[in-house]
Formats: sequence, C-alpha cells, structure tokens
Amino acid sequence: MLLSNLPASSQCGFSGGVNTYAMENKDTTQARVRARDAAMRLLNRLTTGAAISAVIGVGLFGAISANTIPGTTTTSTTTASSTSTSSGLATTTTPVTSSAGSGVVVSGGS
Amino acid sequence: MSNQLLWYTTRGAGAVSLVLLSAVVVLGILSVLRIQTAGWPRFLTVGLHRNLALMTLVFLALHIVTAVVDPFTHLGWLAAVVPFSSYYRTFWLGLGTIAFELLLAIVVTSLVRGLIGQVAWRLVHWLTYASWPVAVVHGVGTGTDAWSAWLFALQAACVVAVLAAIGYRLMAGSRDPLANARSSFQSAVDRRETR
Repeated sequence: MLLSNLPASSQCGFSGGVNTYAMENKDTTQARVRARDAAMRLLNRLTTGAAISAVIGVGLFGAISANTIPGTTTTSTTTASSTSTSSGLATTTTPVTSSAGSGVVVSGGS
Repeated sequence: MSNQLLWYTTRGAGAVSLVLLSAVVVLGILSVLRIQTAGWPRFLTVGLHRNLALMTLVFLALHIVTAVVDPFTHLGWLAAVVPFSSYYRTFWLGLGTIAFELLLAIVVTSLVRGLIGQVAWRLVHWLTYASWPVAVVHGVGTGTDAWSAWLFALQAACVVAVLAAIGYRLMAGSRDPLANARSSFQSAVDRRETR
C-alpha cells in the first residue's frame, strides 16, 4: 500500500465542534433508555399501588356494606299479657316486645 | 371464617372487581388512541391495561369463591361455571357467570396472542364490549347493595368513565399515522388475492 493513497486530507479535519451528530445520537439513545427505565418503574409502582388499593378496597367496601346491610335480622316477639286490676272490673292489655339482636344471617347475592 | 365475613368479602370483592374491570376497559380504549406524553409513553398504557386485567381476574376469583363457599346460599361450583344453572337469582347470577367467562376468554387469548394470530385475538377482544355491560347489569340485578348510595355512586362513576372513554374514542377517530397506508396496502393485497 502506497502512502500516497492515504493523504493527510483523507482524515476529517477538526470541525471546531460543529459536527456533533454522532455524539447527539448517542445522547438521544441514552435519554430514551433512561425514559424507558423511568416508565417501567412507574408501571411497577402503579401496579403495586393498584393491587394494594384493591385489597384495601375489598376491606373498605366490605365494611361499608356490613354497615349498610349487615345481614342480621332482629327477631321480635310480641305477646300480650293481661293485667287484672284489684277491683277486677277493668282489664288492660299491655303488649310486651322483646328484641333479640343475636343475628340471623340472611346472606346471599353479592 | 364466619358466614357474614364471607358475605361481606363477596360484596367487597365484587365492587372492587367492577372498578378494576372499568379501569381495564378505559385503558384499553386509551391504548387504541395511542395517547402518550413525555412522561407517559404508549407502552405504559398497554402494560397497565394488561396488569390490571390480570388483577381483575384475581379479585373476580375471590368474589366467586367466597360466594360459592358461603353456606347460606349453597350456590355450588356448577353455578360458577354453567350460566343460569343456579337456583338462586338464576338470571342475574347467570349474567355474572357469562361476564366472567367472557373476561377469561379475553385474558387467555391475550396471553397466547402470538399463537392464535392478530385477527382472532382482535375478534375475541371485541367481546370486552359485551363483558363489561353484562358485569354491570349483574351487579345491579344481583347485588345486595345495588341500590345502596355508595354502590350506586360507584357504579355510576364506572359507567360514566367507560362511556366517556368510548365517546372520546369515537370522536377522536384513528390516531394511527399509518392508518391510510395500511388500509390501502390491505385493499391492494385483497385485490391481488381475488384475482
């Protein structure tokens, strides 16, 4: 190979920092990689947050539904007791109501 | 676990499933519109859509399992699989079974999308537009709390969100920059195949 085939002019001269295309391209790629990593982190955070919120939501909505429709019934028993007065002339009937809230499940549905 | 706790869990998981399913539908519609910003690339919408869809299945499973094992109703596992086979609120529970099975089909075909091809996947994915309203009607018809203020507000918010997304989708049209090129290419291919 003759040295005359490789003259000094075959090399790019110093452009004074004007031709920075290759460097900018590399920076753009790096920026895209960083943006993608940030987006992946955001996706993981959002998914985790949604999962935690959903678990809390089941508890919260369950508690709210328990308060609004608890699924228990109050059994009422009404009996009539007759009370006779000493004179025996008048008789009053007083209803006696007893409530038991021990709860009978009426669950079903969703 | 007490019967009441099972019942409360069924109702809570049902409400959460509805919210998650609505979010999945909204994200699916937004992903078609290719919405993106500097901090929110397109794949984020698709990824969140996929993750929430899988999460919806988990909470639906919780909803179904707690309802089936609740000894008060004696629903049985058959009612969870075969629509309209339950003696209890037959029609409304049947709608829930249908919605769940449609969603299951959508998720499974999405997981094996590479095997079944784009066209088949898209056809099955359109079932979402049937699955979501069926699920909403199931909640209204079966739900013990359907007319409670809190669940009514929740259902209304879900319906408004999905309808707004559908309306936006219809008004925005296609955001695909290559839509015209694709359609002309497809029509050229079709013409060539018919010769």
